[in-house]
Amino acid sequence: MDVQTVNANVSRVPFFRFLNFEVRSLDSLHAEAEMTFDDPHIGNPIMEYYHGGIIASFMEATAAIAVQPDFADVPAKPINLTVDYLRPGVKGPLFARANVTRKGKRMASVSVLSWQTDREKAVAEGLYHFLLV
Amino acid sequence: MSDITQKKMEQIAQMWNARGKGLITHMALEIEEVSTERVRVRMPFNPDFCVDAEQSLLHGGILTALLDSVFGLANFVAIEGVSTMATLDLRVDYLRPARSRADVIVQAHCFRKTRHIAFNSGSVWFAGHEDAEIARGTASFALTRGETSLFDAMTKGKTS
Repeated sequence: MDVQTVNANVSRVPFFRFLNFEVRSLDSLHAEAEMTFDDPHIGNPIMEYYHGGIIASFMEATAAIAVQPDFADVPAKPINLTVDYLRPGVKGPLFARANVTRKGKRMASVSVLSWQTDREKAVAEGLYHFLLV
Repeated sequence: MSDITQKKMEQIAQMWNARGKGLITHMALEIEEVSTERVRVRMPFNPDFCVDAEQSLLHGGILTALLDSVFGLANFVAIEGVSTMATLDLRVDYLRPARSRADVIVQAHCFRKTRHIAFNSGSVWFAGHEDAEIARGTASFALTRGETSLFDAMTKGKTS
């Protein structure tokens, strides 16, 4: 699956357009994406930090794409998630990399890391489960 | 709402409705009930938050964002003297597909508060369908206490 085709799928999802991100790279077990900062993403209007829920949503979107990049209608069905918030997400681009740790017949586990200028300084880390049936 | 002072209610209204930009404004949240015991908030249906072309299936992420926001409100109401509040971690279970164009209702409370940490839980359902929860979440928040109140920090930018 090439990145252009995946981004064409992404642009058809209303909420993904709201998040305003693009998939940068993709292989059978990984997806990497970049989200552009936008005013409706703000959680703390004084500091202009990303809302924690937007960070979690972007990570969920990247995880769903790693699991099912060729989704036809709607992205992979999420079961649950856990997110650890490590640093504030400041105004500017946010990156996420999703690693599929296990993909079975019915379920997939995905770990996601998000960062801004330095990959070593994670903004958040998350674990997501998806139902594949 | 008897245990919430008028001043606190006014502060809540100011923080939530007069923010101008940001996700909470975009979600157009309406506070339905607020007390130190629990808070209940309504989010009107918004097609931007859907994943399907027909725009009737909400993305799980928006429910996560909603829980995170309402936990923050529950803490603001339940805990005195907080100057900053940051989500430490968040767990959300998606119990059913969120397929409806109805308003979304979130109810949350702070079930334990300590000097440094607040623990929250909450539920999400479509208005009129309280018996069919669509998501449930728990979170912990790191609190700092100081001279500047959270309200001043959020409205006047006196502190980070």
